[in-house]
Amino acid sequence: MAALIIRRIVWTIPVLLLVIFMIFIMMRQIEGNPFRRTERAVPPAVQANLERKFNLDKPWYMQYLLYVKGVFTLDLGPSLVLRDRSVTDIVKEHFPRSLKLGVLAFLWAIVFGIPAGVIAALRPNTVYDYLLMFFSSIGFALPSFFVATLLIYYFALKVNAFPTNGWPLGFWDIDSRVVLPSLALGLFPMAYFARLVRGTMLETMQQDYVRTARAKGLRWKSVVTRHVFRNSLIPVVTATAPLFGLIITGTFVIEIIFSIPGIGRYFIASVSNRDYSVVMGITVLTSVIIIIANLCVDIAYAFLDPRTRTSRT
Amino acid sequence: MRRKTWLMLVAALVAVLTLGAAGCGGDDDDGAAQGDTSATDTGGAAAEQVLRIAWGAEPPSLDPGKATDTTSSNVILALMDPLVKLNPDTLEPEASLAESWTVEGNVVTFHLRDDATWTNGDPVTAQDFVYSWKRTLSPELAADYAYQLYGITGAAEYNGCTKGNCEALADKVAVTAVDDQTLRVELTSEQPWFIGQVSHHSFLPVHQATVEEFGDNWTDPANIVTNGPFMLESWEHEASINLVKNPDFRDADNVSLERIEGSIIVDGVTRVQAFEAGEVDALDGLGLPPEEIDRLKTEPYYELYPALGNYYYGFNVDNIGLDQRKAMSLAINRKIITDQIDKTGRSQATGFTPEGIKGFDVINPNSPWLPPEGDMEQAQTFMDQEPNPKTDINLFHNDAPGHKEIAVAVQSMWAELGIKTTIKAQEWAQYLEFLGPPPNKAVDAYRLGWIYDFPDAINGLELWTCDSGNNNTNWCNEEFDSLVEEAKKTVDDDARYEIYRQLEGVMFDEDGDVPLTPIMWYTYNNLETDAVRDSFFISPLDQIDFTKVVVQGG
Repeated sequence: MAALIIRRIVWTIPVLLLVIFMIFIMMRQIEGNPFRRTERAVPPAVQANLERKFNLDKPWYMQYLLYVKGVFTLDLGPSLVLRDRSVTDIVKEHFPRSLKLGVLAFLWAIVFGIPAGVIAALRPNTVYDYLLMFFSSIGFALPSFFVATLLIYYFALKVNAFPTNGWPLGFWDIDSRVVLPSLALGLFPMAYFARLVRGTMLETMQQDYVRTARAKGLRWKSVVTRHVFRNSLIPVVTATAPLFGLIITGTFVIEIIFSIPGIGRYFIASVSNRDYSVVMGITVLTSVIIIIANLCVDIAYAFLDPRTRTSRT
Repeated sequence: MRRKTWLMLVAALVAVLTLGAAGCGGDDDDGAAQGDTSATDTGGAAAEQVLRIAWGAEPPSLDPGKATDTTSSNVILALMDPLVKLNPDTLEPEASLAESWTVEGNVVTFHLRDDATWTNGDPVTAQDFVYSWKRTLSPELAADYAYQLYGITGAAEYNGCTKGNCEALADKVAVTAVDDQTLRVELTSEQPWFIGQVSHHSFLPVHQATVEEFGDNWTDPANIVTNGPFMLESWEHEASINLVKNPDFRDADNVSLERIEGSIIVDGVTRVQAFEAGEVDALDGLGLPPEEIDRLKTEPYYELYPALGNYYYGFNVDNIGLDQRKAMSLAINRKIITDQIDKTGRSQATGFTPEGIKGFDVINPNSPWLPPEGDMEQAQTFMDQEPNPKTDINLFHNDAPGHKEIAVAVQSMWAELGIKTTIKAQEWAQYLEFLGPPPNKAVDAYRLGWIYDFPDAINGLELWTCDSGNNNTNWCNEEFDSLVEEAKKTVDDDARYEIYRQLEGVMFDEDGDVPLTPIMWYTYNNLETDAVRDSFFISPLDQIDFTKVVVQGG
């Protein structure tokens, strides 16, 4: 296990270098002046001063090397747009808020999605199954911004049960403001998990070892918990890593609608502002998260399926 | 067995966390609800002087030297005391930190009050301005808006200095502190608008010792030292900015607000929802979602303010001939655009300089090429006269909300002249690059706007000189350029307005060149509750003066 983890961590280095290189090249390919954000022309002297200040006057390979050095020393440089702040500050301050939103959304998915899938699978083609799958189809099909707008309309404006926007800023602070955004974001993974769990459970129940277990005279309840459920979780875990990575970093829409000061908004804003250093910073962050999520999945496999444990270590 | 226990533990943890979250949610929900009602109660009865405002953006910087946008500017103006302020109605400069000023030729002398202090107790002196303005011009700070100060002798040279000569050039910037209360500024020409221009946030001072101690972080609430009516209490990036009244402000007796609680809400729809749910008292005028305008403008809390700004279509004069430009300009029915498409109460442009600016009545050319409802018949005549008509053209706009709808309307108006218009939208940064100057050859017509920095027509007319970085039309007229130079030296207002009239004429009179066709003059729209709407005001330069806001009891 330790060897696996170490190997994976070492592998992140070339992956990161490649990611930085590709983003670097792509950002330079799109036109646009990071220092001209309004229709006002930038006088040549001002442009030259700004380029000098942000190292954009150096040859491209020097700029690339400076970025790489910055990433590995955790100094991601100053933002080209938010002039009082550095990219490291931005990530440190805003990422935990997105992380909290993502985790809460995931909790909805785990707490309601997985049991819904289990119930549907244990009572296939009954009214429970149909109802649950009907709702999960809706959750699957409706885009989160639409769900968010509906939630605000009914629960914030009509009923006044929740505020329309805002977010408790501390990582451990939880209040009523977290409910609507996390639900809006969690609906999709919830529906996804419900369908996935139902599908794999039904498939697992057809397996020979399930029949054997029942033939041995095991109680149905323990067959389900020990054999069916656990084996059905493997595809769920597989799906979790990329989904989790997406949800904790790609919450742009929900963050904008609920005015949550997370990192998601910077994904769009930094590209349209040509804020090279912020683009680079959050791309690196996303890559690291996806890499870590995948690593966690591999570790979880080892717990769920002893065969992978022996073959991988 | 062990594994089973582990799974159970995880399940239990998940359950506890969710219940906990739900429980806390419930509790806090009640708390928030109570908080809300009590706030409205006191707000109603005793009129607690707290303004809750929704800012439309995170201010990129609260450093007067570095800020460029409206939100930063408005927050900074609440925190700082400018030398002069503009009267919100007349836009005439009024004394603020400077109790008076004298102008002799191109030398302006400001006489500062002796009772102004920084929030740490230091007096505000003329030295502070010398330091701050030179700091803004210094290549090390690399301020985007350094050019706002280019009217000062030696400023542009210092800003463009290279390593060797910077120190020498810094000394040549003609701003000096004669004594603690006297600031002497020498300008490159008379620039009669300079006094008004000084109300811009780029001319605000910073506290030298604080800036030198904390560097880029000096604007953190813990470090910041300011000298205005309000102080920065907290700034949670992208979430909130809270200001409190500065009790030691020289004019604190005339400031009623005790607190300004600002939420940063970027999305227009969310801003409207927050307002309608009673979570904020006012928005900051940064624009309402176009699709909501129809509904909102019938509400009692909808407010409309005139703005010094212009929405125009420019022509690439290398591609489109004079008669065709006249025809295309005549074909546009501006009334349809303002009343049926834009719908925010803007008026149809009859020249470049917007109404509301000083001298408008003299300056406005009431151009024959800009009839409010268009003149298709005449347009057709000019189109037929055009020696090199171009009937297949590209119209470019940036992909922000609202522009496409206007472009489509104009497309159909031009279609009546037999012009096939292809509309092309581009992302903002790319768009600006594409327009040059010089513009990409594919550009035949483009949309842009201009928001005035200071209330003098020169700020907009100057865009159209041959060398201007904002002239994307390829149009270059020497008569126009020499008139601009003349205006810069003309101190007498009436005489200068006459020159502005001639400048408008070169573009839009009967024999004008029509290098562009103004569509409409801007407005700001806003939502404000009854409690603040009488005193809350957005000036034509998009400035909010919080010292004048009083929360009314109801």
